[in-house]
Amino acid sequence: MGYHTSLYLFVFLPIALLAYQFTPKKMRWLTLVLSGYVFFWMISGKLVIYLIGTTIWTHYIGIWLANLKMQCKIHTIGKEKQEIEITQKQYRKKERLVLASGILLILSVLAYLKYYNFFVRNVNVLLDTADSPILLQAKTLLLPIGISFYTLQAIGYMADVYWEKISAQQHLGKIALFLGFFPQIMEGPISMYSQVTESLWEGQGITGENLSQGTVRVLWGLFKKMIIADRLYVFVSAIFNYYENYSGVIIIAAAVGYTVQLYMEFSGCMDIIIGSGKMFGVTLPENFRQPFVSRNAAEFWRRWHITLGTWFKTYIFYPVSVSKIVKKWNRFGRKKLGKYVAKVGVSAIALFPVWLCNGLWHGPRWSYIFYGMYYFVILLGGIMLEPVKDKWIKICHINEEALYYKIPQILKTWVIIFIGELFFRANGLRAGWQMFKSIFQSFEFQKLWDGTFLTFGLDKADLIVIFAGCIVVAIVGMIKERNLLGELGIKRLWLPIRWAIYYGLILTIVIFGAYGNGYQQVDMIYAGF
Amino acid sequence: MQDFKKVGKKIGKNLLFCVILIILFAEVSKILENASMKNDNLVQSRNKSIFRILREPEHTIDVIALGDSLSYSSISPMELWDRYGITSYVCAQSGQKIQETYHMLETALETQSPKLVILETNAMFRGNPGLASMKESIEEWGNHYIPIFRNHDIWKSFIIDKQYPEENYKGFAFRCAVQPYEKGEYMQKTEQKEKLPDVVITYMEKIEKLCRDNGAELLLLGTPSPVNYSYQRHNSIQEYADEKSLAYLDLNLKLEEVGIDWKTDALDEGDHLNLSGAQKVTRYLGKYLKEQYELADHREEDFNIAWKKEMEEYRQKAEKHLKEMFKK
Repeated sequence: MGYHTSLYLFVFLPIALLAYQFTPKKMRWLTLVLSGYVFFWMISGKLVIYLIGTTIWTHYIGIWLANLKMQCKIHTIGKEKQEIEITQKQYRKKERLVLASGILLILSVLAYLKYYNFFVRNVNVLLDTADSPILLQAKTLLLPIGISFYTLQAIGYMADVYWEKISAQQHLGKIALFLGFFPQIMEGPISMYSQVTESLWEGQGITGENLSQGTVRVLWGLFKKMIIADRLYVFVSAIFNYYENYSGVIIIAAAVGYTVQLYMEFSGCMDIIIGSGKMFGVTLPENFRQPFVSRNAAEFWRRWHITLGTWFKTYIFYPVSVSKIVKKWNRFGRKKLGKYVAKVGVSAIALFPVWLCNGLWHGPRWSYIFYGMYYFVILLGGIMLEPVKDKWIKICHINEEALYYKIPQILKTWVIIFIGELFFRANGLRAGWQMFKSIFQSFEFQKLWDGTFLTFGLDKADLIVIFAGCIVVAIVGMIKERNLLGELGIKRLWLPIRWAIYYGLILTIVIFGAYGNGYQQVDMIYAGF
Repeated sequence: MQDFKKVGKKIGKNLLFCVILIILFAEVSKILENASMKNDNLVQSRNKSIFRILREPEHTIDVIALGDSLSYSSISPMELWDRYGITSYVCAQSGQKIQETYHMLETALETQSPKLVILETNAMFRGNPGLASMKESIEEWGNHYIPIFRNHDIWKSFIIDKQYPEENYKGFAFRCAVQPYEKGEYMQKTEQKEKLPDVVITYMEKIEKLCRDNGAELLLLGTPSPVNYSYQRHNSIQEYADEKSLAYLDLNLKLEEVGIDWKTDALDEGDHLNLSGAQKVTRYLGKYLKEQYELADHREEDFNIAWKKEMEEYRQKAEKHLKEMFKK
């Protein structure tokens, strides 16, 4: 039951809203938790036990950490400074151990269910090369929906309690709500405990304002998914699944097509999710902010899948950056090798685990690991070339805000994104490499207009709709980026115009949506991660 | 008091929004329906019967056949009319889901009052479990009652002149290729049964009620198809028919009486019948219907001019194709 399906939009969501509204305010959290578990069960059946287990474990670790902190405080009352330091050190050690076991257990479940067979496959290749008679057995493992998302949220919560950014939650229901709020179970956004739990817990009634704002957001998501992404799916699959037959401009079109498909699909689903949350009065964090106006790869990742980037930055990049080993290197590097080398070294040490995890998080495939490493190299390259770039800008008196400089930068970023997504979507790393190489073989520009593009499952009308849809999304993106409508957004417009936009949006989705006879309902891509 | 006024104003505003939306949906649906009725070339093959049955003169069709591609490959209304004077229409769709069968019958009953409804039983084994079938049921309900959902795609015809012309004789698909079935006996006697999906049981009850309410009898019909039928399936349908006191005719057990020769009558290696196979099935079926049901002979009635004209075309085409088929 994807968020874009009739079952969710016309049955599950309305029932959940009604149940929520008719529950007394104090018990609304329970309705949300139960709705979350029913939703999870409808997709993953009894695997809901993993979510419940993670919830109980996360709650327990939080309380354990809080107790240790409390005990530490009690034991340091009235003691000498030196004794306090020793006691604090001892408790710090214990807390670290508790945190590590907390994280380790839920990460082990994720690793086992998601990566075990990948590990087996690769070990077997090595064993086979070494002519070993023993090979490991792959297992049929069922992956609970959204495990990659709620695991990160649970780890984030434990770390936040450990760092004392938040106090441990005594009420199990709040943790259950945080990890199991149904609109975000399948695809995120990966929220931090402090961002959402209070508004989830508050149980404020459904208001006409929230309902209409949420509905508009859901419709906007459906526009992106059903009009653009689901159409592009046909085109993209036709090329990626038979990539051996194509080269040059067709491969480029496939890479661009997939990038647009992924954006429309993922950000569209995010709109539906955030809109659903809004209906309950919950403001979920944004996951996209016009990523295609980014001027470099680093900015792109601050605008694309924002909550994943923020999570890695908060829970991997910062802890690694301030770790003893990095500090030591920094001191050593500055002294012996100079500021520049030390800075590059620190960046490399902190960025490497972030991008390795980013790649691995997407799934057990070498192409995803390559995808992570690809961005690691590009971002590190950017840091290394920064002094050269700054010098060049100074010498040539370049105005960094001028269009002549901005546009090539944006286009360069597009090329980086398209190449990354080409490898990301390809059926394996080898296929990705083959496709990349084939771009430079028989380019054949004329295929852009000789009708070749009409042989990939889409007709001229479909292509026109995709193109027009992208223009609409770009215009809306531009309005948002420049904040042309201010805080009030569309509400600033005169009511008849606003209603005309709503009706137009609804009718456009219903008439031009890629659904029904002749179309295939496309599953949500990120739900598979 | 002021609060009350405010809330009332808000509710009124939302209500107005919804009313305008409903009117818009109804109007656009009407426009699309009218366009599709006027020119069914705008409609994709699968949905043509929905509009074509509505174009038939009111209350002139005595037999409505429902089901998937086995129906439109096996039952030829023109033959039924020519030989027995039975007016019939095949309201079938490729891979018709049971929900579609039900709504198709609802559509047909809008303008027709058939004496008999024939359901080709292969559709009774098509049903997803649980949530998937619930989703399909919602979607088919939407397609039927809010036609804009079903017909939304015809905008392409206006933009790039994309049309789907197709010859169609009262829902029968004229298919003349021959790819023999050579795998031998497929109805091996057994006591085993293939379970009918839950969604099928639910919708069968609705179909039966609809027939009852409209004074139509329901006949379950299995047309010859080695790829789709087995004795297990036969047993399940037989059990269901006995339980519900429905008539059941399984032609897969009467191949000799029907005269099916798998060397000449198979369209695609035993999945569907070709024109020759369909003619044999229709002749047998016509005789059976005449014996079992009180169906009038309409060959001499006023509205038969159109039927005669269509029959002439059909006959010429059928003779030509049969000649070609047997030459090969």
